[in-house]
Amino acid sequence: MVVINRTRSVTINPPKMCQPIGAIWASLGVHASVPLVHGSQGCSTYPRNLMCRHFREPVEVAITSLHEKATIFGGAPNLKQALTHIIKRQHPKLITVITTCLSETTGDDIHGIVKSFKAENPVYDDSTKIVTINTPSYVGTHVLGYDNAIKAMVSQLSEKTEPNGKINIIPGMLNPGDVLEVKHMLKEMGVEAIYLTDISRTLNAPLRLPKPHFPEGGTTTEEIADSANSLGTITLCKHEGQSGANVLKDKYGMPAFLGELPIGVEATEAFLGNVTQMTGKKMPESLRDERDLLVDAMVDASQLTFGVKVAIFGDPDIVLGLTRFAYELGMKPLHVLTTLENPQFAKDMQALDTDYGADAEKQNIIVGGDLYDLSQKIKETPVDLIIGDYKGKYISKDEGIPLVRVGFPQADRFGYQRKRMIGYRGSLDLLDTMVNTIMDRKDD
Amino acid sequence: MPFVLPECDKDVPERKKHIYLKDEKDEFAIPACNIATTPGDLTERGCTYAGCRGVVGGPVKDVIQLQHGPIGCCYYPWAARPHVATGTNFHLANAFSTDLRESNIVFGGEKKLYNSIVEASEAFPNAQGVFVYATCVAGLIGDDITAVAKRASKAIGKPVVAFNCPGFRGVSQSLGHHVGNQVLFDTIVGTEELEEKTPYDINLIGEYNIKGDDWLIVPLLESIGLRVVCTFTGDASIHDIAKMHAAKLNVIRCARSAKYIAEMMQEKYGTPFMEVDLYGITQTANDLRKVAQYFGLEEKAEEVITKELAEIKEELDFYREKLKGKKVMIYQGGPRSWHWPETMAELGVDVVVVATTFGHEDDYEKIVKRVKNGTLVIDNPNAPELEEAMLKYKPDLFISGTKEKYLSHKYGVPFLNGHTYESSGGYMVFKGLVRFARDMYKSLYSPSWKFVRTQETAAEAQ
Repeated sequence: MVVINRTRSVTINPPKMCQPIGAIWASLGVHASVPLVHGSQGCSTYPRNLMCRHFREPVEVAITSLHEKATIFGGAPNLKQALTHIIKRQHPKLITVITTCLSETTGDDIHGIVKSFKAENPVYDDSTKIVTINTPSYVGTHVLGYDNAIKAMVSQLSEKTEPNGKINIIPGMLNPGDVLEVKHMLKEMGVEAIYLTDISRTLNAPLRLPKPHFPEGGTTTEEIADSANSLGTITLCKHEGQSGANVLKDKYGMPAFLGELPIGVEATEAFLGNVTQMTGKKMPESLRDERDLLVDAMVDASQLTFGVKVAIFGDPDIVLGLTRFAYELGMKPLHVLTTLENPQFAKDMQALDTDYGADAEKQNIIVGGDLYDLSQKIKETPVDLIIGDYKGKYISKDEGIPLVRVGFPQADRFGYQRKRMIGYRGSLDLLDTMVNTIMDRKDD
Repeated sequence: MPFVLPECDKDVPERKKHIYLKDEKDEFAIPACNIATTPGDLTERGCTYAGCRGVVGGPVKDVIQLQHGPIGCCYYPWAARPHVATGTNFHLANAFSTDLRESNIVFGGEKKLYNSIVEASEAFPNAQGVFVYATCVAGLIGDDITAVAKRASKAIGKPVVAFNCPGFRGVSQSLGHHVGNQVLFDTIVGTEELEEKTPYDINLIGEYNIKGDDWLIVPLLESIGLRVVCTFTGDASIHDIAKMHAAKLNVIRCARSAKYIAEMMQEKYGTPFMEVDLYGITQTANDLRKVAQYFGLEEKAEEVITKELAEIKEELDFYREKLKGKKVMIYQGGPRSWHWPETMAELGVDVVVVATTFGHEDDYEKIVKRVKNGTLVIDNPNAPELEEAMLKYKPDLFISGTKEKYLSHKYGVPFLNGHTYESSGGYMVFKGLVRFARDMYKSLYSPSWKFVRTQETAAEAQ
């Protein structure tokens, strides 16, 4: 185990984005919502463009269009004007006001501005909720942006009424394919859930005419309000939901399970175990079958997966989940990289290492690193597979090592937003892909 | 009334002056343009940084592209635009950032910037220079990136170019183009001598080699007997830009994003310039004649035009037949919206709506002149306006960019990406026109469209 922390000033090829895109993502998982970014026009256009390339769906994001004047006199007039226009023209159920490095540095108090907007315009009643989210781009990454957005939504919208018997699920920045897989597992368990939030239909919509004004699906603002009355909260990605889960815990005394992403056998079991603990519902035969079908395939593939050296990069929870699954398959995760600058990540990794008694192979844990770091480590100690998002393709090409694509973004390929990697079935899909990639390579 | 307010804009009356319905009686009325966007109107515009880093600076293939600011603005433009290059993908495969954090916002980022330039140059010793781009925060906290660039340039012994292009400046990407032109002109142009000059040296200005457009244009110009010293900035090396002043003529394709540098070169070096379209048959042929005439190469130009047209005739005729009478809606950044009306007319396609993201008055003058009566011309359209235009004008095809593609499909309107193209090659000059027409045909005639059903039918289906 070698923990590598950043010493360079320059970042080269970062596999990370800024907070606003995480908050935009969370907002778009709410039915009839308009994310309103408080910043320069690039702050909406850039994330939109990237998300369009990944999801292949329309992504509507509003912007307050801050210019020179706003940097001197503040952006309050822009924000109020933008709220007026969006409410009048779009009639959304929710507007999320998302800050940027620009509006945070100029020091706009978005909460105060929204408060005075409401006071000045009593005509806009509560039929459009407005949630304010602080997402300074110079703190954390897109991961924190998503986390902050969910936290803001439950803090500002949840309302204690009657118990609803449901559980809250905070998916994190998982693809529609993965969210649908969670829905499938819970349906099999007979458990009802409130998803905070749910992009599985809003960013994955069927084509039917006429186009609905807002995409169908998504979590309703009523459901977000009702999240106060659930049995408890489970995060699929600890780092993309823990703050929201803790708010609900502190406010309403409901349990918060900050789960590990359910990839592979043990993590999926743990997730379903948490669901059982929260609801009392047992795992049905169908899911037991799914588990053992996965195990059957893992055993069948053991000749091909055992000892395979991998490099894994991406968001912290995805990397932890993939690393655990790699260990379950007898692979050697030699280089793991996340952009999270948190010593806890290395501790979590080391705990995994201990769990599986990995042999004394030196594992590089690159904390808060970039893809240049990863490429250097791969040059020193080559691997057989790289697992990560599309930005891994350059290392893959340079070093002649195949890339198994997971997560977000996959801006240069087709259909990855529909793929799944979580749960027993998602893990099986991922296993198939990895094994076939290894076999393809053996053929060469 | 030449100016119209769409239904969706009834609460944004200031949009009316941006939306012009061409009327012969009003030949010279043009929409209001190049002014600030109404906050919250769901604009499609980007920012000054995007115009500078993404459009003008980004295609330069052998320099370190270093963004000074928080991480997002490094990530989003990284390889987002396919301005490909010969012999390298360095500029697309790598993106650099100072990744400014909270402490840098408080105490300034100059030291981090200096160290980043030096470290990046050490990591990539073959890079021929460093382009530094300021984003919003760098501008706000007052980092003197020009001074840092000067010091760092001494330390690494290579040019370090500082672009002061924070996103909050100006009203759109357009100012970023201008900054990019100005800075490259001031710092790089004229710093190296062209060794072997010929009497036929030209620069191709405002051409970015999207999916290889340049690789269609340059051979064509060479076949006439011209030599392209530098394409500004598609497939360009920083050394090409340094020698631009040696050219005898500047030929401008995208006049919106790069006419500035041609004007500055005319003033300083006396280099004349001419504007060209290089899309479509007639425009391309006339452009070639015009450029050839300047050098006395008319005969060669005619020969080349005849040969090229013969090569594409059969295939193009097939597509023309297929495209005849189709209605198209065009929404591009600027010039392509005036390059294409005549190109479409040649293909027998009827242009019903034309819009631009950041056009200026001169762009709209050209558009208004080139479209037929009854065409709707929109400046800086927002999403609801595009939706309304699709429903009202019922185009058979919408040609725009990535952000509009999936919206168009949800409205049941076939789409073609005119910004970054759908295919693996360019759409310009004669050979590109065939590909352009072929791709339009593919979008229009895809049998998949016939399976699209209504919400109602879907609900009733057993």
